Amino acid sequence: MRHKTLLLVVPLLMSPGLGWAAGGGDEAGGLPQLDLTTWPTQLFWLVVTFAIMYLLMSVMVTPRIRSVLEDRQQRITNDLEKARDADTKVTEMRLSYEASLEAARTEAAAKARDALSEAKATADEAEAEMATKLNQKLKTAETKLMKMRDDAMASIDEVAAEITAQTVSHLTSLKPTKAAVSKSVKDAMATRANQEAS
Amino acid sequence: MHSPVEQFTIKVLFALNLFGYDVSFTNSSLFMVLTVLASIAFLALAIRPAALIPGRMQGLAEMLYEFVADMVRSNVGNEGRPYFPVIFTLFMFVLFSNLLGLIPYSYTTTSQIVVTFALALAIFVGVTLIALVKHGFHFFSFFVPSGAPKALIPFLVVIEVISYFVRPVSLSVRLFANMLAGHTMLKVFAGLAVMIASAGGVAAAGSVLPLIAIIGLTGLEVLVAVLQAYVFTILTCMYLNDALHLH
Repeated sequence: MRHKTLLLVVPLLMSPGLGWAAGGGDEAGGLPQLDLTTWPTQLFWLVVTFAIMYLLMSVMVTPRIRSVLEDRQQRITNDLEKARDADTKVTEMRLSYEASLEAARTEAAAKARDALSEAKATADEAEAEMATKLNQKLKTAETKLMKMRDDAMASIDEVAAEITAQTVSHLTSLKPTKAAVSKSVKDAMATRANQEAS
Repeated sequence: MHSPVEQFTIKVLFALNLFGYDVSFTNSSLFMVLTVLASIAFLALAIRPAALIPGRMQGLAEMLYEFVADMVRSNVGNEGRPYFPVIFTLFMFVLFSNLLGLIPYSYTTTSQIVVTFALALAIFVGVTLIALVKHGFHFFSFFVPSGAPKALIPFLVVIEVISYFVRPVSLSVRLFANMLAGHTMLKVFAGLAVMIASAGGVAAAGSVLPLIAIIGLTGLEVLVAVLQAYVFTILTCMYLNDALHLH
């Protein structure tokens, strides 16, 4: 800064002004600036005007300009802060959005899993029920069949006794009583059963 | 034919006497008053909108303020803050005096050596007092360059003291001489134009040449007016810095 100023000042000092000032003094009664009688009035008015100007500047003008500049700086700082706040808020919002998205995704996955297992359970239950029903039906049918067989087996003695009585009457013309025939048939069958069993 | 330095003559507008001293209101006084009015009115009106986004005038006022504020900040530092109003006033006073003086038929108060010397002397005395109050006796170490060989010190002190006391002279003469030279040069060319024109006939057309020169010189003088206000202010800042920090 200092060097730059010197560079500017030196050539200006060497300008022809000084030469003029010295040379001009010889003719036309010299430079009016060197007329000492004008100095008191100039000094007086310089002091008066400069003092008034300084007063107005320091009391009115510079504080006003400073306040305008400071207000603007304040506004800029505030706006920057606001922008920073908004930026943080946006980041927060994005993070919370991402978090909620993630939560929703997890929840959806869990729900899907639940629904799947529930459906499976229902299907299993239905299957089990069906199986029980079928088993019951099978059992009923079996019982019926058993009963029918038992009945058939029970009536087989009678049929056998009748056939035996008829066969005997045909071959021998004997007329055995029903009771005797059924007794002997029973005996024969029991013997047969014993033989088969041994 | 008028002398080119006649423009600097002090003319009494109305006579005034105070305690036996002649303090008449003169053309010089008038332009001092106009300088104050113009600079204050300009700044006050320009800053009046106090807009967040400044208009042209407000921007200019703020620019002038910031220009001087930066000058004080970079040359003096934070201790320079209390002196900002006076330095700003000084800058505006010199700037407006120089610029108003460029208006034809006006008067340039800064072309008066007594005015520039009074300003420079006030700065010199003020700055020296600030240094004495702040540093006391230690202030005189300012005249002893550090790191100089012992044998050379008396010699160097003499040089330093002389250069210190020459400050108000160089500060005032620089501004005064620039204003004097510029305005004289303008008048010389104007006189030349009149002289050639009065020759009459075809030769009178030649008076266009000095007129063109005046246009160029006026542009240059505007530059000099602003530059000298800047130089005057920045040197004041440097002297103030020396006073506050003693190198």
